[in-house]
Amino acid sequence: MSAPSQNMPMAVSATRPKPLLLRHLPYFAGSAVIVALAATMQFDGYVHNILMQATTFAIAVFGLSVVLGLCGQINLAQAAFFGVGAYAVGLGTSDYHLSYWLCLGGGCVIALLAGALLGMSTLRLGGHYLAMVTISFQQIVTLVMINTIWLTHGPDGVARIGRPDLFQSSQSYLAFCVAMLALVGYVVWHLADTRLGRAMRAVRDNELAAGVVGIDVFRTKVFAFALSAVLGGLAGGLFAGGFAYVSPDQFSFAESVVFLTMSLLGGVASPIGSAIGTGLLILIPEWLRFLKSVPGLYLAIYGLSVILIVRYMPDGIWGFFRIATERWQAKAKVHAAGLALQLTPATIGGDIVLAVKGLAKHFGGLKAVDNVDIEVRRGGVHALIGPNGSGKTTTLNVLSGLYKATAGRVTLDGTDITEMPPHQRAAAGLGRTFQNIRLFRSMTALENVVIGAERPGNTLIGAGGDDALVKRAMSALAFVGLGGRANELISSFSYGHQRLIEIARALAANPTLLLLDEPAAGLNSSEKVELHALLKRIAAQGLTILIIDHDMTLVSEAAQHITVLNFGRRIADGESLAVLRHPDVVSAYLGTE
Amino acid sequence: MKLTRRDFTAGLAVGITAPYAIRSARAQAATLKIGMCVPVTGPAAEQGLWAQNGAKLALAAVNKAGGVLGKQVELVIEDDQTTNPGIVLAFSKLAAQPDIVAFLGSIRSTQVMAMAPDVLKLGKPVMIGGTNPDLTHMGNPWLFRFRPNDSYSGRVIADFGVNTLGKKKWAIVHSTDAFGTAGGKALSDALSKLGAPPVLDQGYANQSQDFTPVVLAVKQSGADVLGTYFTFENDLGIFARQLRQLGVTIPWVGSPSVVAVSSTKLAGPALYGTFGVADYAEESGDAPRAFGKSYRETYKTAPDIQSAWTYDAVTILSAAINKAGSTDPTKIREAILALKKFPGAEGEYNFDQNGDGLHGYNVVRNEKGMIVFDKHIEFND
Amino acid sequence: MACGKAINNRRPKILLPGISMDLALQLLFTGIGIGAVYALVALGFVLIFRATNVVNFAQGEFSMVAAYLMVVFAVDLGWPYWLSFLLALAGMALLGAIFNLGVYYPLRHRSFLPVIIATIGASILLSNSVLAIYGPQPQVLEGWFETPGIQLGPVYLDSQYLLIIAVTIVLVIFNYWFFEHTMLGKKLQATSQDKEMASLLGISVSTMIMITFIYSAVLGGLAGILVAPVLFVSIQMGSTIALKAFAATIIGGFGDVTGAIIGGLALGIIETFGAAYISVPYKDGFAFLVLVAFLVFRPQGIFGERVAEKA
Repeated sequence: MSAPSQNMPMAVSATRPKPLLLRHLPYFAGSAVIVALAATMQFDGYVHNILMQATTFAIAVFGLSVVLGLCGQINLAQAAFFGVGAYAVGLGTSDYHLSYWLCLGGGCVIALLAGALLGMSTLRLGGHYLAMVTISFQQIVTLVMINTIWLTHGPDGVARIGRPDLFQSSQSYLAFCVAMLALVGYVVWHLADTRLGRAMRAVRDNELAAGVVGIDVFRTKVFAFALSAVLGGLAGGLFAGGFAYVSPDQFSFAESVVFLTMSLLGGVASPIGSAIGTGLLILIPEWLRFLKSVPGLYLAIYGLSVILIVRYMPDGIWGFFRIATERWQAKAKVHAAGLALQLTPATIGGDIVLAVKGLAKHFGGLKAVDNVDIEVRRGGVHALIGPNGSGKTTTLNVLSGLYKATAGRVTLDGTDITEMPPHQRAAAGLGRTFQNIRLFRSMTALENVVIGAERPGNTLIGAGGDDALVKRAMSALAFVGLGGRANELISSFSYGHQRLIEIARALAANPTLLLLDEPAAGLNSSEKVELHALLKRIAAQGLTILIIDHDMTLVSEAAQHITVLNFGRRIADGESLAVLRHPDVVSAYLGTE
Repeated sequence: MKLTRRDFTAGLAVGITAPYAIRSARAQAATLKIGMCVPVTGPAAEQGLWAQNGAKLALAAVNKAGGVLGKQVELVIEDDQTTNPGIVLAFSKLAAQPDIVAFLGSIRSTQVMAMAPDVLKLGKPVMIGGTNPDLTHMGNPWLFRFRPNDSYSGRVIADFGVNTLGKKKWAIVHSTDAFGTAGGKALSDALSKLGAPPVLDQGYANQSQDFTPVVLAVKQSGADVLGTYFTFENDLGIFARQLRQLGVTIPWVGSPSVVAVSSTKLAGPALYGTFGVADYAEESGDAPRAFGKSYRETYKTAPDIQSAWTYDAVTILSAAINKAGSTDPTKIREAILALKKFPGAEGEYNFDQNGDGLHGYNVVRNEKGMIVFDKHIEFND
Repeated sequence: MACGKAINNRRPKILLPGISMDLALQLLFTGIGIGAVYALVALGFVLIFRATNVVNFAQGEFSMVAAYLMVVFAVDLGWPYWLSFLLALAGMALLGAIFNLGVYYPLRHRSFLPVIIATIGASILLSNSVLAIYGPQPQVLEGWFETPGIQLGPVYLDSQYLLIIAVTIVLVIFNYWFFEHTMLGKKLQATSQDKEMASLLGISVSTMIMITFIYSAVLGGLAGILVAPVLFVSIQMGSTIALKAFAATIIGGFGDVTGAIIGGLALGIIETFGAAYISVPYKDGFAFLVLVAFLVFRPQGIFGERVAEKA
């Protein structure tokens, strides 16, 4: 696994990427052509309206591809945000005679604030709660549109909505909307490969792991939600200008479901998919008029397709095609390994890297961890062992911030981290792996490790540019012996290799202390030997390890110091061999006879 | 279930014939075309079917009598999906066909509102059934209304209650949707003019499951007469039952939904003795009687307002084009506005300069489940 | 619009100025009645959530479908009411089973998001299939009793609401007995708490989930049949009730049967009094405002314990 050749420093031979804008030139050229077409081609009013609707809807659906596709959070109120933007432009231009641009901007800001507030109040809960809260928000917005007649004209709607002077004609306005679509599409497309985009994908794939590698999960979700809302608002503003009339029924819950379906159908994770889904769901109803002659039949088929898409095409049409075409594309082999991995754990505090004092975690009446003290010395391997249910994993979860301690103090390298959420602990220098591997499964090995390298507070990545991150990640992958397979998806790796990638992700972050949760679980004997060697090489670089494992051979050979827990309490602590011979430890493991 | 199958076949027939009609029309340019936006799909699909029935009945009569300007008249139907964006799309699709000379719009005011900018841009006459008074008062010369607008329904309800029933303490209950809000306002204004401002003016949201608070408010207000604008029959049914259960027995004069067939069926005895305004009442005159007879012969069922207004729209539009002797939009407009005392299924048409054809309503009564004609109230201003 | 100002002046006034005891009692009865309906549907939500950790967005459509089945059997075919009732519930059991096999079961190993979306799809499918078959006209279903209601002093008690309240009480007792004192109930409980453990104990998890779906479809159907004579039978009847029931579930605490009942009743009362004393048009808004308030300040609900994610 860790053949020395792969760990040799090698020059990066991968083709150096051209500047971003240059690489994406075809995109802009293509967009310019489409905008020009929209501005010059002769359409009749019907085609014009269809295009107008598709263009503005697609922007709103792009918003969903951010929040749902990238970040995995449901938003069933996109039509409400769309409506907020539409009403801002509608009321602003028709009643208050304000400039179109001011109204469009204002609509975006209101949508942004609404989205951010809604997100902040509920994104900690996630899941079903979020679904419900967004539905509630949607209903309240609809009620307000209908009932605050003095402001919104109620169900009559807003007529005579203005357009900017520059784009007075329908044709030029359409071209303007298409240009906005291209611009937003570019931003959304590119977002996935930025730090924020990676954080969103990490949150989507595995929220717990995202927190532990240093991503502020809550803030990332709020960003995603607010961005989605602002795109909804922008789309609504453009829509209002395009159709010159808006009314509350255009922004109902049913429309939110339509947006969601558009996003799912095309492929939730990509802007191209969103555009495909939007186009299809605007055109299909036009094609399937004959089905619509029986009220309900069309929507019934619509509902059935949603179920079928979710079941058989989880990545939508675009995802389906991409998977099909990927088979034909040769995988970009990475022949390059980065520089040898460098680990320079911070040494601010004294001799003790991790000090745990009187730690307790109670679940209701159950004392899973009770009054435990641990002191981990700098630069060694410290093992935490105990029989099943003794509280080891609970302790680790409290240490990494997944559980809140009931009592006690935890100090990492001189910093009190007791009250910190997981991502702040990561920033303070804590890294960890999980017993049941928690990788970001939709990403490549390299992307996983890049997210690790991005840990706030990592001093070894310079300014955090893409080049530095990739270099750092490559060297970490090479360190665990997987440098050659960096561009493969997680699913193509064996269980043992996934474990190594998880370790590489933690190492790339250059932590002060590495927590390993049963790293040997599920490994065969030769993999265990290799793991042992890896631990030695890590320790040789001066990184402190706190390991939990059942494998006594591994523990006794690797660890210099052992703490033993039983029934949530510490029953022994000290130098390895002495602890393992301690009568309480023997009886805890073998039972007293 | 019987109803359903009929709808299904009829709907299917429309779905199949509509595209065919468009295609065949291109082949023979000898027809004169009228576009029609109508809900073929969506919540009002069934009403849409009735609207088409009315229009087609009139069309058959016009064509039998020799057509318009010597040509046979043809309807080009486009689905408005019962939504506002839907009707904008449908109308733009029709407007793109230059040989369509005039259009039938929607019975829903918000839909007319939504298509109005495009109508103004196109500059061809559009017959509408939406009853929001504003529609013909917003400077759009191309909208012609074939139903009395809500200011008349409000005035008729007020006039009937105050002058015929002699009641002055009014409670108004109305839906907060477009129809209910506009109607409630018109009624309230009319009552104020008659010197009897309402003692209670209560809105409610559509699809409420319970009306106890509203009924108690009516009871508390001490009103001696009730005026209502309900949109959905099930809301009306729940309200009517709870009203009776909680012992409110004051006279009740309502918008057309109170005397609609479906409400009568849903609410049963709770609506006995109520009054409602109706733009179509078969017993109100000779022309309505004739329409009712011919509709029943063709479709084996009783007509209602959804088919009466489209019937009148096609009949009057055809007459106007014949009189104008041209399909020039301005000439058609002048011809429609010049129509006086034209007998239609809904009553006597006298177009004013705003494009409103009717200026009064029939008042009908629920006589133990049967709807009977009571009186017609007409205004001259 | 020209009329904007004029309408503004006649925005709905606050109803019922003085608080009268009689009126308050009448409102309380209605509130409890409508709340009991929410509670019945909420119960179905909770059962499925406890067994599968999934919110079934088609729960309201179960009620709607059952009401239409009643119309088919009792009105169109003219069969006896009790027979129609049993047949409708049997139909719901079948629907619950199909729903499990077609919507939930294939997705059971995926995250909650696809499952939520699939149940939304199922809700659209069910409501529009009924629309396609039956048309948009609301239907009438007679109640159980000949007498529409009784006057008790100042308060009028609608007999159908009395029945709904009674059924709710019986169901609370039944559920308690079923889950705490029968083997099947205990197995279901074990499954909902820890699937792995349950299967180690020899409980067939997939059977238990199947039973849960059937039971909650029947419960939802029962609610629909009971409420149909009051609200009429319409396509939208399910979705409006379900949204409120969902809110009730959150207020009561997810995964707690008693909570769902209390939440439903509380919501019914809040809504009715809110409509009477604050604003009728915003009635639906109260439910959602209360819901948001709960989510922000007490997400675990009145009774529930907050579910922590397992590491």
